[in-house]
Amino acid sequence: MANAPLQCATFFGKLIENEYVHFNKLSALVIDDISAMRHAVRSQLQSLGMNKVSVASNANDALELIKSTAFDVIMCDYNLNSPSSGQHFLEYLRNENILNATSVFVMLTAEAEYGFVANAVEFIPDDYLLKPCSESKLRSRLERLIDRRAFLMPVLKALDARHYDVAVAECNKLLDIAPDDRRRMDVLRRKSDAQLALGDHSSVLETYAHAATVRGDAPWVMMGLARTHYALGEFTQATEIANELVGKNKSYVAAYELLARIRLEANDDEGAFELLNRSSVILPSAKRFRSVAQAAFLLGKLEEAKLNTEAAIQLSNGSMVEKSDDYLSLAQTQVDMGDHMTAIETLEKNARKHGDVGMFGVAKGAILAQAYFDSGDHEKARKLMERSVSLLANRTDSVAMSALGKAALKTGDIVLGMKLLTQAVQASGQDERIIARHVKKSMIDTGHADKVEDVIDGGRKRILLLVDEATKLMRTAHFTEANQKVNEALGIHEENLEVLMTAAQLHLLWLKHEGMDARVVQRAKAYLSTLDKLVPNNQKVMNFYRFFNDIVSN
Amino acid sequence: MQKTLSALVVHDIKNALALLEIDLEQLNHHKDVPPEGRRAYRRCIELKNRLISFLTLYKYDQSGLQPLVVEVELAEFVEDLVRNSQSAMMAESHHGHQIVVHADGERMKPDSAAGGFGMFDENLVELALESALNNAVRYARQRVDVWFEQEADEIIFRVLDDGAGVGVVDELMQRNTAEKSSSTGLGLALCKAVAEAHGSGHVSLESLDGAGTLFTMVLRRVA
Repeated sequence: MANAPLQCATFFGKLIENEYVHFNKLSALVIDDISAMRHAVRSQLQSLGMNKVSVASNANDALELIKSTAFDVIMCDYNLNSPSSGQHFLEYLRNENILNATSVFVMLTAEAEYGFVANAVEFIPDDYLLKPCSESKLRSRLERLIDRRAFLMPVLKALDARHYDVAVAECNKLLDIAPDDRRRMDVLRRKSDAQLALGDHSSVLETYAHAATVRGDAPWVMMGLARTHYALGEFTQATEIANELVGKNKSYVAAYELLARIRLEANDDEGAFELLNRSSVILPSAKRFRSVAQAAFLLGKLEEAKLNTEAAIQLSNGSMVEKSDDYLSLAQTQVDMGDHMTAIETLEKNARKHGDVGMFGVAKGAILAQAYFDSGDHEKARKLMERSVSLLANRTDSVAMSALGKAALKTGDIVLGMKLLTQAVQASGQDERIIARHVKKSMIDTGHADKVEDVIDGGRKRILLLVDEATKLMRTAHFTEANQKVNEALGIHEENLEVLMTAAQLHLLWLKHEGMDARVVQRAKAYLSTLDKLVPNNQKVMNFYRFFNDIVSN
Repeated sequence: MQKTLSALVVHDIKNALALLEIDLEQLNHHKDVPPEGRRAYRRCIELKNRLISFLTLYKYDQSGLQPLVVEVELAEFVEDLVRNSQSAMMAESHHGHQIVVHADGERMKPDSAAGGFGMFDENLVELALESALNNAVRYARQRVDVWFEQEADEIIFRVLDDGAGVGVVDELMQRNTAEKSSSTGLGLALCKAVAEAHGSGHVSLESLDGAGTLFTMVLRRVA
């Protein structure tokens, strides 16, 4: 803090000195759709002394820049003149874990109603500023933000390096020296983030309890508590806290979304649908419309499913959250509504830009086959099925297999249909619950309700049993025997996440207890790299990697 | 359709005004700016403030303001308010000399339990206080003082000018009720709206016999 003052700018000939922040060492990105505004904000930042100021006119360009450069400051316009706003962009960056913890994100908004949006969401920017903002005000706010960041820096760096245990240790150091409650809350929030990343639920509960003694009604504390109880299977407590949060703030969408997930666990589909619907009305986004559409589809509310999927397409069109799968959902809904001509138009005309290769092509062909079959063109349906089956080859993709399986059942190939649907469930990994629901619905819709259990539970029950046996053997240090069970389970489905996680864990314990064995090291490496490919950036896998490196380096 | 169109037009005007302001701001960085440059900058700021006040009030009338409540350190907030105030920067009395705007540290009373922190929407409150400051600066003789007082569940902001007092206050209040288009009335209405959005707070103007005019804005905890 005691650095020599820097000369940054003059105002009416007066020298403005800056004692706190070396703006000339900071980089910034300005995102605004209006070119003149972009450049105006850039000149203000340059006047503050920043030399490295990049600009982007839309979220897609900004995304590329953010991926390649760790900006110190990101100034994003709320109104990006496209269906998705600055808030959508921020949510996307946080959800995808793209935004560095060390980057300060400031939302610039011309509207006082930004308060409404920010009150409803979980991910809020580090600060928001009303436009137009004078240079001196910009300076004050940035100084404050950079100052706050400087205090947290060791923690933020550890978070960005994904060294979560280091981050927790740094947080503990900072808690001892935090000068006031605001700083203390800043640190506690980062500490809970790190503990969540470590999957350390019991410690994170302690951190939330600590934060609650400082400021118990902070939404992030309540939301974190609710979510942790949910993760621990304590649904009653999770529901209570989420309800309290919603009682205090009727527009807090994250709480509605958690409540919806709890309703789903309780098989209350109707309740889940209503909660999701409410959150999409409060704060529309493509992701929320998709959730509503999916819940509606599984409930057989086809009209609602159609409208919400159309809304998701409209809102994400041309943006980074655009998903070709939306067209598949829409067309499948249209087929189920008996509207095969529109479904054909959806896929052949409206979804043309997504082509028909890869797994999208497989699913597209499968849904088109259903539509043509319904229209009476059985020959065309057969050709489409053949093409999709050959495109699928021996690859496993739950969505494509599920669509193809349904098409097979519908067009009369029961054997193929059952086989594909069984595989779809087995290959579904993290999405198992939802894929299983779709498969079940497809079977009931095509008159095969009696075989649902075989298809959904067949392979899965055996896999679970084997994983269970392997875990018990592993705990009693019978590593070779445990490995046999794991191999048997992988024989049923080689990309089942649960099995792969168990296999990785088994091999790590093996190395720790029995010492280094080249073959075991080799296999451990192979499992970890498969997992990394299947679920990139998964915290559990990251921890396995660190554990592995620790063992190997010792 | 008409509503959408006017919203578009207003948005467009506001953006253009914002750009103009930043251009003039950057222009005024130069040492040898002619007085017209400075005047243009001041006029632009006034115009922008009026438009933003109007839009914020319009929003308040239509659907109410939704404060985005964050934790704010009060002393720092008042100091930044004064330091960054465009009204203070441009303040010249009718007699041609500079008006001093002062963050009055001695009068600031943080509540010991709250530790000098308050929960409110700093952008909205800043908007309101800036318009109160603008008003005070116009009627002050030499000096305007700004401070806060904090009680268990209230935050009180005060702006005191050393202007003429009673007569002015009457005039202000009258203008405020009779005709909202004047910038004073607009400013006061804006302050009321912002205070109300913060836990049904309120504002008042009182004349301190010969000692000037005191503006008070009370915010309560937002439930």
